[in-house]
Amino acid sequence: MPAFGSFALLVALALSGYNLLAGAVALRQLATGRRSWISPEKLAETARRAGIASFFATACAAFALVWAAFTNDFSVAYITEHSNRALPAAYKFAALWSGQEGSLLLWAFLLSAYGFVLRARHKVDVKLTAYASTILAGIQVFFLLLVNVAATPFSLVTGAVPPDGNGLNPLLQYPEMVIHPPMLYLGYVGFSVPFAFALGALMMRYPGEKWIHITRRWTMVTWLFLTVGIFLGMHWAYSVLGWGGYWGWDPVENASLMPWLTGTAFLHSVMMQEKRGMMKSWNVWLIFSTFMLAILGTLLTRSGLVSSVHAFAQSAIGTWFWVFLVIVLAVCLFTYILQRDHLKTEHKLESLVSRESSFLFNNLVLLAACFTVLWGTLFPVLSEYVQGNRVTVSAPFYNRVAVPIGVFLLFLTGIGPLLAWRSTSMRSIRKNFVLPATVGLVVAIAIIPLGVHPWTIFTTDGQGAFYAWITFAMAAAVLTAISAEFFRGARVIQGKSGQNLLMSMVELTRRNTRRYGGYIVHFGIVLIFIGISGQAFNQSHEQTMNYKQSFMLGPYRVECLDYSQDSNPNYDTEFALLNVYRGDHFVTKLAPELRVYAASQQPSTIVANHSTLVADLYVIYAGKDPATGQPVIKAFLNPLVAWIWIGLIVTIFGTGIALAPNLSAAIAAQRHRAAVPAEPVPAGRAGN
Amino acid sequence: MTTIACGLLLIGAFLYVFWPEKNVEAQHQKTRLEFLRERREVLFDNLRDLNFEYRSGKYPEEDYASQRAMLENEAAETVAEIDLLESDAFAPQHG
Repeated sequence: MPAFGSFALLVALALSGYNLLAGAVALRQLATGRRSWISPEKLAETARRAGIASFFATACAAFALVWAAFTNDFSVAYITEHSNRALPAAYKFAALWSGQEGSLLLWAFLLSAYGFVLRARHKVDVKLTAYASTILAGIQVFFLLLVNVAATPFSLVTGAVPPDGNGLNPLLQYPEMVIHPPMLYLGYVGFSVPFAFALGALMMRYPGEKWIHITRRWTMVTWLFLTVGIFLGMHWAYSVLGWGGYWGWDPVENASLMPWLTGTAFLHSVMMQEKRGMMKSWNVWLIFSTFMLAILGTLLTRSGLVSSVHAFAQSAIGTWFWVFLVIVLAVCLFTYILQRDHLKTEHKLESLVSRESSFLFNNLVLLAACFTVLWGTLFPVLSEYVQGNRVTVSAPFYNRVAVPIGVFLLFLTGIGPLLAWRSTSMRSIRKNFVLPATVGLVVAIAIIPLGVHPWTIFTTDGQGAFYAWITFAMAAAVLTAISAEFFRGARVIQGKSGQNLLMSMVELTRRNTRRYGGYIVHFGIVLIFIGISGQAFNQSHEQTMNYKQSFMLGPYRVECLDYSQDSNPNYDTEFALLNVYRGDHFVTKLAPELRVYAASQQPSTIVANHSTLVADLYVIYAGKDPATGQPVIKAFLNPLVAWIWIGLIVTIFGTGIALAPNLSAAIAAQRHRAAVPAEPVPAGRAGN
Repeated sequence: MTTIACGLLLIGAFLYVFWPEKNVEAQHQKTRLEFLRERREVLFDNLRDLNFEYRSGKYPEEDYASQRAMLENEAAETVAEIDLLESDAFAPQHG
């Protein structure tokens, strides 16, 4: 099987190389009108098919590696390093992306899968797809070169084949780890498609904005995958790393956040191009930057440039990525300089108080956030280069900049949809802003007696509560603005159809899925902001506990019922059994664990968490007190964390709605199908 | 076994890529007329959105009237150019 996997990768590289070369030659011939012994259309068709075939070849290679993991083929060095016999089946599958070589193979596989769909749907726009397919083939060649030359997943062990492997990193032995990396990769890799379309459209001077329409669903699906990937990673960090938080501004977390920020900016600003023919250069550079940031993120994770709990070991692979990044930048710059006259804007910004300006500010804010994250992530590398010593940037730096930016973004989320295109008059502002502003003000006053005090901004360490206060008030205003949009639209539908308000809202959403799905996404984002603001009120307590001993944390009393240890073939575990009371009422039983995995002898924390809408009681087994042999229990009370995960579900739901076709379009298609008579089947074809 | 699998993969890929295709899709360059028709659809969509938002009570009468006039002017210019190009395209066949 390793030999087959290696061969499949070579075939995939050859096919992608052919796709790139034949595709480029065909496009050149079509552009210049020159002909050769084969027509450019036929040559382009062979290129497209080579791209499709490369997907099957890469799939064969990925299958070969997974097969090697399931059959415990320790003759493959990668399987020896990342799997062992006792590893549960799901984690053997996860071995595909748990190491450098395997995860690069996953990149190549997902890229070829996206390419497969793109090439199979080429009839949407044959010429534009041919450009995008050729550009995508170029990216495929890079990743297939990596897995064929620099990071080969099918290398064999030297000497005798070991009887067992080293096992999977214990931190990765968690159910979400089977989903989180593929989601993240689907997000990273997926931005290659809108990038390829944008670059292709620019190269061929594609008239109009239809390329945006064609790539809209690609971009949204990709954005959704990246969003889910990031949040699954947060949930994993929260549940496994055992430090009580979900986001630590780790360089690898930052690497996933940067393309998300620019991708979110792109999703918003393309609306201006579609509707008003504005910001064409900006949009092209946004999607170029998003793709390059996805590559930079991969480079940071794999080159050993930055230190992170997620990063792969230091390797020479960074040079490959630097070279690729420079080539991509050069191609983008060259194409832009050559074709920039094609990107002239059709309209200018008419007023600073308009929907266009809210999109522009939204973009600037997202880019400012992205630059902050990029600066903080690269600062240790830059400081080492300039001064000779590595200066690490920690959470306070990011929070100081990112928190106000986030609050301003929340503000724009609320006002943007209320503003009119072109310009908004004072009358319109009064009409639309009074209700949300009043609700925001009422909430701002109402939460002060609950302990959310804005005047903490004047204290040295109390700014969190101030920002939480603003966020809660702003969140209330934004939720009111979104609800008002649904309510107003539903009343128009209700007036015509006579349906109840709820059904009218459903129909309203189905009539314009993009807009109202987008509002639901905003709703989810607001819930996430509320959840994140809860951080300002976190509490913690650490104590060595004997039987029947207890401590108080917020409204909870935590009592030690028992502590013990256990073993299975994969790991040894120590755990404590804790009863949780609220007043005199029993709430739940928690069992935090500390596992030591047999193959790697590495420890891993299994957090016990009691989650409610108000707060999470998050308990970890921090080890044994060496003097007494009793367990050291660390507990955190983290308010509102559940809102983050609920917000994510709402965001997924909203994106799903935004991806669905509009009701009117669906009805029109149905009518069209009904109007076109069925094609008569010639006698010879009947039954074929 | 491995050799057979490798051989099958190679032959399968080769046949799939180079198998002669009779009906190859033509790569067609989008015309100005097609672009204008797309633009017209976008403008009509914008008008529909504006009308709906006005009916829902989002914009005052004066704002709506001025916004609508601007969009209608833009749509009229686009439709006029479409008519011109369509008549140009039609003329030689009858000339």
